[in-house]
Amino acid sequence: MRGKDDSNQRLLAIIPARNEAATVGEIVRRVRVVVSGEILVVNDCSDDDTSAQSRLAGAKVIDLPFRLGAWGAAQTGLRYAKRNGFDVALTLDADGQHHPEELPVLLEGWRRSGAHVAIGTFPSRLSAAKRLAWQYFRLLTGIGVQDFTSGLRVYDRRAISVLASRKASLLDYQDLGVLMLLRNKGLTLHEVPTVMSPRRTGGSRVFSSWRMVARYMLHTTVLCFAQFGVRGRAASVRAGARA
Amino acid sequence: MSAVITAALIGFVMAGAILYLVRRDHLHGSYALWWLAVAAAALVLGVFPQVTDWLGRVTGIAYAPVLPIIIGLGMILLRMLKMDIDRSRSERQLRRLTQKLGIIEQELMQAREAQKHAPIAEPSAARTKTAQVIPLSKSGDA
Repeated sequence: MRGKDDSNQRLLAIIPARNEAATVGEIVRRVRVVVSGEILVVNDCSDDDTSAQSRLAGAKVIDLPFRLGAWGAAQTGLRYAKRNGFDVALTLDADGQHHPEELPVLLEGWRRSGAHVAIGTFPSRLSAAKRLAWQYFRLLTGIGVQDFTSGLRVYDRRAISVLASRKASLLDYQDLGVLMLLRNKGLTLHEVPTVMSPRRTGGSRVFSSWRMVARYMLHTTVLCFAQFGVRGRAASVRAGARA
Repeated sequence: MSAVITAALIGFVMAGAILYLVRRDHLHGSYALWWLAVAAAALVLGVFPQVTDWLGRVTGIAYAPVLPIIIGLGMILLRMLKMDIDRSRSERQLRRLTQKLGIIEQELMQAREAQKHAPIAEPSAARTKTAQVIPLSKSGDA
């Protein structure tokens, strides 16, 4: 579908990090071994020396002056990628739950699928509550993805451009909102099963307590509702373009 | 004290307070206009309560005094909606500005680093010629 010469593609690995000084250096080093490209750590206003550790490991670092959240940090990386003309951007977490050694698998799966975006998933890590929530969101959005929240992703040039835009700036999580935006722009998604480990430090930010879950579900439902009409519009625009 | 005087007093105080605050220039353009209109409405309704009765007759509402309350509440809700829209816009701009700042800072650091390691091409005399000294006043105000 893409049919480009893959070897010449410039790749940027984006690692959003907040207070991950214990793991980020090691992650950067491991990414460098398996991926040829630049590595960018977006330091989301950490209190520890995440920034220094990343620099020490040889990554480029963007220090945000105040906290933007996981998606805000990831988007900063994507804007950097767009500004500097990268062809491929991949994102992974700094806490060690995503193994850098899986990146070649993910990239290979992405290249073979020809999709604009690839998501690295680890289906067996999903708890029953999460599985139920995803079932609900699959119904609501019509996006047939196993794991909506995985931050292990590959984006191509078009996806980078869409996600770097103003439209994506009011999103709070790198999940459904991002996927819906990509889908509405007519971009294709592909999932690649990968190996992940449970988070070493702390639990999932979203699924930490019932109150947070309720908040998240409500928030995302509203987001789906707000996006509902857009899907039809985008679809008709595509149909018009084909005609 | 008669009801007429009370109503007029409330109208005067409200309009006066708003006028005072608007005059002190704390409000941005369109907001000032909105609040001046509110002040005018408070003044008119306070001084001429008959307007309410007249409005009730025109709109066919039997209990006229409820009319300003309903309209007022509606206006407040609209105003709040507008406030949240403005806040969302500011939030978006702030986020993008923050990101841009981070990116540009990184580029600046990188450029400085490159300059530090690069051999100086021009003689130092040529550089001092272009350097400017800008005297800063010591009075403290920027």
